[in-house]
Amino acid sequence: MLVLSPWLRPPAALLCVLPALAQTQPPDGGLAERLYRSGERAYAAKAYKEALDTWEQLLQTTPQSAYASMVLLRIAHYQLEIEHKPDAAMPYLERLRTDYIKSPEAAEGLLLRGVLLKGLARRPAELKDAMAEFDRVIDLFPGDPACAEACLHLGQAWRDQGQWSRALQQFIDAFRLHSGSAVAPRAMLEAAETLDLMQDLPGCLRMLQRLRTEFPQAPEAKEAAWRMALRVKQRLQKPLLRNEGPWPSGRTKWLKTPTLLSFTPDGDLLIFQKDLDRVFRLHGDELVPQGPPAPGTQVLLTDAAGAVWALSKNGLLREDATTPQPLGPLGAISGAALDHWGDLWVADARTPAITVFNRGGESRSLASPTVNALAPLPTGGVVVASDADRKLLYLDAEGQPRIVVPYGQDLPGPFRKVVALASDGAGQVAALVEGSDFGQGVLILGPDGALLRQATFKSLGISGNITSLALDRSGGVILCDRRNDLLLRLN
Amino acid sequence: MRFRHLLFIPLMCATLWGQDPALNDAFLQAKALWATQGDREGATARFDGVVAALAPRAAKLGPEWVQVLCESYNWLAVLDDRSAQNKARTQMRFQALLDLNPDFELDRALTSQRLLALYDRLRGEKYALVKLSYSPEGGRLLVDGKPGSPLLHRYLPFGSHKLTYSRPGHTTSEVLLELGPHDVKAADFSLTRTSSAITLYVQPSEVEVLLDGQSLGFATGKSGPEAAALAQPLGLRPEELSAPFIIPQLSPGKHRLELRAACLRPKVLELGPEFATPPADHTLEPIRLDPSKGTLSVSSPWPGGELVLSGQSRGPLPVANLSVCSGPYDLLVRFPLGAFSRRLTVEEGKSLSLEVRPKPRLAFLGLEGGDFTGRARFQGQLESLGDRLQQVTFLSAHAGEAAAAAMARLKATREAELVLMARPVPDKVTHRVEITVATLDGEEESLVVKPLEQDPLGSLVARLNEVPSIQQPGLGLSVLDIPGEPGPWVVAASESAIKAGLQVGRPILQAQGKPVASAQDLQNLLGASKESVSILQDGGKATLPIQLESLEVPLGSGGLCYPAELAQLRLELVGAKGDKANLVKLNLAIVLMQFRRYDKAIELLRDAKLSAIRGVSQGTIDYHTGLCFLHLGNSYQSEAMQAFGQALKYPQATLLGPEGPLVAPLAKQAMADLK
Repeated sequence: MLVLSPWLRPPAALLCVLPALAQTQPPDGGLAERLYRSGERAYAAKAYKEALDTWEQLLQTTPQSAYASMVLLRIAHYQLEIEHKPDAAMPYLERLRTDYIKSPEAAEGLLLRGVLLKGLARRPAELKDAMAEFDRVIDLFPGDPACAEACLHLGQAWRDQGQWSRALQQFIDAFRLHSGSAVAPRAMLEAAETLDLMQDLPGCLRMLQRLRTEFPQAPEAKEAAWRMALRVKQRLQKPLLRNEGPWPSGRTKWLKTPTLLSFTPDGDLLIFQKDLDRVFRLHGDELVPQGPPAPGTQVLLTDAAGAVWALSKNGLLREDATTPQPLGPLGAISGAALDHWGDLWVADARTPAITVFNRGGESRSLASPTVNALAPLPTGGVVVASDADRKLLYLDAEGQPRIVVPYGQDLPGPFRKVVALASDGAGQVAALVEGSDFGQGVLILGPDGALLRQATFKSLGISGNITSLALDRSGGVILCDRRNDLLLRLN
Repeated sequence: MRFRHLLFIPLMCATLWGQDPALNDAFLQAKALWATQGDREGATARFDGVVAALAPRAAKLGPEWVQVLCESYNWLAVLDDRSAQNKARTQMRFQALLDLNPDFELDRALTSQRLLALYDRLRGEKYALVKLSYSPEGGRLLVDGKPGSPLLHRYLPFGSHKLTYSRPGHTTSEVLLELGPHDVKAADFSLTRTSSAITLYVQPSEVEVLLDGQSLGFATGKSGPEAAALAQPLGLRPEELSAPFIIPQLSPGKHRLELRAACLRPKVLELGPEFATPPADHTLEPIRLDPSKGTLSVSSPWPGGELVLSGQSRGPLPVANLSVCSGPYDLLVRFPLGAFSRRLTVEEGKSLSLEVRPKPRLAFLGLEGGDFTGRARFQGQLESLGDRLQQVTFLSAHAGEAAAAAMARLKATREAELVLMARPVPDKVTHRVEITVATLDGEEESLVVKPLEQDPLGSLVARLNEVPSIQQPGLGLSVLDIPGEPGPWVVAASESAIKAGLQVGRPILQAQGKPVASAQDLQNLLGASKESVSILQDGGKATLPIQLESLEVPLGSGGLCYPAELAQLRLELVGAKGDKANLVKLNLAIVLMQFRRYDKAIELLRDAKLSAIRGVSQGTIDYHTGLCFLHLGNSYQSEAMQAFGQALKYPQATLLGPEGPLVAPLAKQAMADLK
C-alpha cells in the first residue's frame, strides 16, 4: 500500500476536494456577469481604473464567458474615447478578432479596428488593411448593423484611392441596403459628392435632393442644401457677377490692411490684417483675434478641425504654437493647401516644384512648373496657377495634372497673372487675375476647368487693391481690398 | 291487451316524442274512444302512449302538458279500475299523479266516489293542505325557492316550508310552515306598494330593454290571449307581441326607456315623473320597432373571394347591393391566398361599397415557454394583436395546439401566409421575449421585446402596419428645393414635358392653381390629383399627365417587417398584370436578396420584363440579376457579366426610384471587377 509523506498529504487532500469545490463555486457565467456589471458601474461613475481592473480580472478568470468579448470592446472604446490612444485600443480589438470572431461584438470590433487603421493611414496604399477589415464585416456579418458603416468607410477608402466608381458602389450600398441606418444620410452626401467627381452633376443634385427629402432633420441635409444651391447657381444658373459693395452690412474702414482671406470648415471667415500682423476670425458680425501674432504671413489656411495655419518665410505657425515651424528652404511662399491626409502642399514662387510635408514633418517634392497660387480640390488634389506657363493645372492626389486650362481660355481677352486662388469645397475654383487685355478681375471655374462666371473689376466698378479672395457657401466671392481697408462681396 | 295495442305504444312514443300536436291529438282521440265508442283497450293504449311520451320529461314540461299528463293518469286510473286485469294498477296511477302534481283535483264527473276517496287517502298520507290568500293578487309565489302557481289551495309534503309571495312594485312577504299528517294550515299574504311597475310589450320579440342606459334584459317570448286587448287596436295578434316585460322598481323622476335589437331601428321613450309618482302599475301601449337595413357591395380585382359577414357566408365576390341589417359587422373576404378583414358599420338606408384586396394572414402559434412575471398580460396583448393590425389578417392560436403542430398544420393546409411565434429568451429570470414573424417558406425576422414595458408589441405593430408603395405618381421631371427660389426648381424634364411647355431651369410657382413651396408639396399634390396637373412657371403654363413611376422597396429599414412585405408582394402578384406584375416580381426579388435567397430571386428576375427604359426599369432588373449571380459564386461569373452587360443597354435606368442613382456606372464597375 502506498503511503504518502506528511508533506504531500495537504496537496493531495486539496486535489481530492477540488472537483467538489469547483461544483460549489458559482458557474463562470455568474461570476463573469457580476464582474462585468461591477466594471460597468465603476465606469459610469468615471472610476475608470477600477472599471478596467475589474474587466481585466474578468478576462483572466473567465475568458470563455460571453462577457469577455463585451469587455474587450468596452476597453477598446475606453482607450479611444477617454484616453485618445488608438494604439492602446488595437491589442484588445485584435484579441476580439482572433479569439471571439463568433461573438456578437465581433462585427463592431472589426469595424472599429478598420476605422482605426483607416485613421492611421497616411497615403492611399496604407488603406489596404483597413479595407480588408471593412470587407470582413460585410462578408462575415451581412445582417449586422455595422455593415452600413463598413460600406461607408469602404467607400471613403476607395474614394481616397481615386476609385470613384467603386466608392460610389459602396456609398449606394450603405443607404440602399441599410436604409434605416444612422449613416445613411452621410452615405448619401458622400455618394452625391462622388457623382460630382464622376461629372454626373444631375445625379449629384438628385442625390442631394433625396437626402434632404428623406432625412430633413439630419445635419447632412443642411450640408446638402448649400452644396446643391451652390452647384445650381455656379454651374447651371451662372448669373452675371454683380458688386454688392462693402461686406458685411456695408461696413467700411473697419480693417487695417487686410491682405489674406480664408473660410473655415464651419463657415467663419479668417482675415489676415497686415498692419496688425494677426489673423482675425469673423463670426457673424464679431471680429476676434485668432492665434498668436503672425508677422509676414503670406498664406492663410485652416485644417479640418478649423485651426488656423499661417505660412510665412519664417515657416508654418499654427494656432496652438508660439514659434513657427521651419519649412526648409522655402522663402517665397505663393500658395499652400492641406489635403485629405493632412499633408501640407506648399508652392514657392522661386522653386519649380511643389513641396509636400506630411504630418511628421517629412517632405517630398512633386515636379511642377513654378506656382504662383494654389488651392485645394475635393478630389484630394490641388489646383495651381503658373504664370510662367500661363496655365492653371488641376492636379490629382498624386500630383499628376488631370486638367490644364490655358490662361484666358473662354475669356474675351487673356490675362497675365493669377494673384490668388480659392475653392469652395464643392469643386468650384475662383481666380483673382490681372494684367494683359482682360485686366484685373475674377474668374469662377468648374471642377472640369470650364469657365462658369467672370467679371473685370472695371466692369464691377471696383478700384481698390484686391489681394485675396474667398468663395462663400452662397456662391458669392469675398474680395479683400487692402487699400480701402474693407471687404467686398460679388454675387 | 291485444298485441296490436302493445305494438301501438312504442310506435306512438317514437312518433309523438317530438311532435306535440300529434300527442295532443292522441290524447283527444283516447278520450273520444272511450266516451263515444266504449273502446277501453284502445283508449288505455293511447293514454299509455301519452304517458310514455310525457312522463320521462315531466320535470321540463310546460303547465299545459303537465295538465295533459295529469288528466291521462286520471283517465288511466279510472280505466284500470274497470278492468279486472289492470285494477291493481289504479293505485299506482294515482301515486304517479300525486308525485307529479299533488294539487291536481280529479275529474269528479269521470271518477267514482270510491276512487276519489282513495285519491284523497293517498294524498293525505304524504301531503297537508295549505289555504292561501293574496293581497293584491297577480303576484308570484315561491315555495321553498321554486316557483309555484298562486293557487288558493296547495298540497305540500310534510315538513318545513318557506312560502314567498312577491309582486313588482311591492314589498315581499314570507311565511314559514311546519306541516304534519292531517294538518290544514293557512297562509295569508298582504303586500305593501313601494314603487311603480311598468309592463311593456314589444313587437317583434327579442329586443333589449334599457332604462337610463342600463340594460334590464330582453323582451322575449310571446304574449297570450290576455294581451289581445292591447294587440287588437294595432292590428296585431297577441302572439305577435313579446311576453310582458316588467320594469319592477321605477324610482321617482324622469326616465329614458330605450329598446334596441339587431336589424331594427332603436326606439327611445321618455317616461315622465308621473309614471313613478304616485306608485302604481302602468302598462304601456305595445311598442313596435321598425326594420333598419342598408346595402353592402363588395368587389375585388383578385379572383376567388368569398364574403363572410360576422361568421356567415354570403357567397362569392362580387356581391352587389346585398341588403343587410344596419349595425356593426366583422367583414371577412376569404381568398385562395390571403384574406381581407375589417370591422365596419352599415348605416340604415345607406349603401356601402368596398373594393378589397387580400391581405396576408398572420397565424399566431402561441407563446411558448414557462411562466414569467407579466406573462398573462403579455399573452393577452398577443391575442388581441389583430385589433391593431391593418395590413394583415390576424388568426388566433388554436387552444391547446403546440407551436410545432400548428406550424405543420399551416404548412399542410396553407391557411396562412405568415406565422407569429413568441418565445421567452432563456435566462435566470425572463426579462425578454423573442418574437418572430416568418413566412411558411422560412424567411423570418425576429425582435426581442421586454414584456413588462408599456407597449411591448408597439414596434411589431408599427412594422406590420407599414407597407411601402412600389409606385408613385410623377410628372417625368426632376425638381430641387433651392434656398431662395419661390418653388421647386426644375433641373430636368422628359421630352414630352418640355414639349408640353415646361421650362427647365425655372421654379414651379403653382400646381393645380395652388402655390407649391417645395418638392414634397408638389409630390403631395400629385398624390391627391387624378389624371393631369397644370403647372405654372414664371412666364409659362404647362399641363402634364400624371404617370405612375416605379419604386424599389427600401431595404434594411427598421420600420418594415420584411417577411410580411414578401407575403404582401406575393399576394399582389396574384392580382397584377403586365408591367405592374413585373414590377412586383422585381421587388419580390429584391426582398428575397435581403434574405440571401439569390437563386429564388433569379427565378423571378428572369421572368420579369419591364417596358420602361428610364428610372426603375429593365436595366434595373438586369443589374439585380447580375448581383444575384455574383452572390452565387464564381461558377456564375459569365452569367453575371452578361446581366451587367444587358444593364448597360439602359443608360437611364436607376435604382430605388426615378430620382435614384443610375445603374450604368455601377454595372460598368461590376463588369470591370469581374474582368
